[in-house]
Amino acid sequence: MAEPQNASQPFWRGVSLALPLTLLVPSLVLLPIGLLVPRLVHGGGIDLIGRFLLAALHPSLEASVLNSALSGLVVTLAMALLGWAVSLLGGILLGLASSRTLWTTCAGQSWPANGFRRLLALPRSIHELLWGLLLLQLLGLRPVVAVAAIAIPYSALVARVVADLLDGLEITRLEALRCGGAPAPGALLTALGPPLLPGLMSYGGYRLECALRSATLLGVFGLGGLGTELRLTLQSLEFRELWTGLWLLFIAMLLMEGTLAALRRRWLAPRRLRLSNPIPANRGRRLESAGQELLVVLIVLLPLCWLLAGTLDVRWSDLLRIQPLPPMGAPDWPRVLALPWLTLVANTLLLTSLAAALAIGLAPFSLLLVAPWPAARSLLRFCWALGRLWPPPLSALLLLFVLQPGLLTAALALGFHNLGILGRLLLESVEEAPSGPREALELMGSGSRLGLLYGSFSAVARSYLAYGAYRADVMLRETVVVGLVGATGLGSQLLESLTAFAWDQLLALVVVYATLTLLGEDLSDRLRRKLQGPPTTAVCTNA
Amino acid sequence: MEPLLTLESITVPGRDSPRLEGVSLQLWPGERVALLGASGAGKSTLLSVANGLISPQAGRVLWMGHPPAPSRRLRRRQQAGIGTLWQDLRLIEELTVQQNLNSARLAHWPWHRAWLNLLFPLETLANRVALAQVDLESDLLAAPVAALSGGQRQRVAIARLLRQDALLWLLDEPLASLDPRRARDVLGLILRLGRAPRALLFSLHRPDLLEGFDRVIGLRQGQLCFDLPAASLEQVHLRELYAGSHLSHG
Repeated sequence: MAEPQNASQPFWRGVSLALPLTLLVPSLVLLPIGLLVPRLVHGGGIDLIGRFLLAALHPSLEASVLNSALSGLVVTLAMALLGWAVSLLGGILLGLASSRTLWTTCAGQSWPANGFRRLLALPRSIHELLWGLLLLQLLGLRPVVAVAAIAIPYSALVARVVADLLDGLEITRLEALRCGGAPAPGALLTALGPPLLPGLMSYGGYRLECALRSATLLGVFGLGGLGTELRLTLQSLEFRELWTGLWLLFIAMLLMEGTLAALRRRWLAPRRLRLSNPIPANRGRRLESAGQELLVVLIVLLPLCWLLAGTLDVRWSDLLRIQPLPPMGAPDWPRVLALPWLTLVANTLLLTSLAAALAIGLAPFSLLLVAPWPAARSLLRFCWALGRLWPPPLSALLLLFVLQPGLLTAALALGFHNLGILGRLLLESVEEAPSGPREALELMGSGSRLGLLYGSFSAVARSYLAYGAYRADVMLRETVVVGLVGATGLGSQLLESLTAFAWDQLLALVVVYATLTLLGEDLSDRLRRKLQGPPTTAVCTNA
Repeated sequence: MEPLLTLESITVPGRDSPRLEGVSLQLWPGERVALLGASGAGKSTLLSVANGLISPQAGRVLWMGHPPAPSRRLRRRQQAGIGTLWQDLRLIEELTVQQNLNSARLAHWPWHRAWLNLLFPLETLANRVALAQVDLESDLLAAPVAALSGGQRQRVAIARLLRQDALLWLLDEPLASLDPRRARDVLGLILRLGRAPRALLFSLHRPDLLEGFDRVIGLRQGQLCFDLPAASLEQVHLRELYAGSHLSHG
């Protein structure tokens, strides 16, 4: 069977994990999950789950329900669009301010860029839900809260990506222009603007998709829009009404994703797995027209945002109107220190690892399972789309019908949501990967599963795992959103302290959470760089 | 004796005109058949019909006298008997030479062996022999394909054909991107390795490389122009085949 290359070496010396297998390693988490889940089943709500699934086939079409769901959807879309627009504007400006290339060119030194980067780490590390809940406590329920909750962390995220994209560009053209005597702003715009644009457009589109999900999530926690409707109908077990809202959201999300994908293709923006892809040199004219079309879109968006802000009564001045807070006593630090920090941190990390492994590993695993049946692949695509739009706290609530609350239940909810995002990305990558090797294998009689494993997974493994590392970092931030399932680490404790107005605890928890998130971000960055490094070096050049 | 491949009145539609129209031919064990024709004559389409990549709109394809099997399992077994060498080679860049060579055995292996191949170097001896047959050193087995030179890749692709142990070799212009000396070397290697009982259907751009072939088939605008013993081929046939297009003499 296995023949080691050198007989004098033990067999395991020849073992190495080939790329397609690395893609599937995370799916091993299914073994412990499969063993543990049956112990959590309480079975009380199995009929409820059945009713919930059946209701998907006949959602309520009553005029009042439809009206309510539609107006909720409009509010959610408006919140998403406004939050996204503000974050994009702020993020680009902050991204420019965080760019080492820009500072070095304009001022001859890069330390201000490093300062900005450090400053933006804090808003980036706190999830939009937490921002939303904090602002809700400070400002009360105002329309601006949800918009600001999306805009604050998203600006910091966009800023980081803009700065990274900018600093990753070749600066030879910039140097050439500067040597020719061009002033710094003009040289920067001419040399770096066009190559920055495709990556920026791609990332901007991706953030809009995220903003829709975030706006729905914020609604689940009471900040208005369709999310609130979904939670209320779920809690009152009105599943037919729930599905009315869900299907509307599903259609809106698919339309948005489809439009953004079409624009990405039209404007030659790279796919999200390859943000830094260079644009082919002969596509300059297409890029130029893309820039013009983008300008038109922005001109249309500006009054639309203005109109939406007016309709929703979003007033930025509300951000300064802090409502009277309950009396705050002196901080009780011994009580803060007495919190089970180690358990909280360990549970948070365990929850992240479980959810990440589930989401990263299950996507390739299920694609392999259905490989011989194209119809099943469409079904998978549909399930993943549902997973993307279905907010994790609602999945958690649904799971509570049949499972006991706890870490695993939270991990399943978080994992299912992220599986929707990662699955779609993997499927897109597989479909866009060169089909030659897979076809060749299938023509040699390998079958479609092995053709996919060897031929396609090999090509996409690095970029998929790199994106998985990024997603794991996002999941660490997202652990707070499944905090309501209980015993899920820092997230649960945060929500508890927030409800109890325990500001001292809240402050300490936010600091620990932010530190953990930043450490996770750093780890995921390192992993990503390692994965996306040059695949091989030329070792043989003769023959 | 059964022909290895039978194509009966094959028609494949194209955008403006058919890519293949009523093409029939048979290929017998041990035959070395050159397929000539200008660019766009339908050579690659013919090979794609022969290996099952394209289903013809009309006509029949028989492998060893049998139509494509309806069941997936039997079809895979049929396909394992047909090897294709593509112009772009279609190797898996991210895997090692050893894993690429073993990928030709996937049709014959049980599933666990296919998975183990991604962990352990399997069938090293057979792979060494295959590499030696294409004049490559066995120390390349552990190298990723992405690290090989163009010439090495081509030889690895030929070694993969050997490992597949296919009876019918379909070769889709593998010499197209090679300089004349290297083209002759590779052609010599393929003719040497693809000897009886194997049969070769070799798509070529260059009529000056016909030495060693038993039969020559000419395709023009998707139709069979001639099907002759190689010794009977004359300039008049080539002029007719390439009329209106550039005749490559390498």
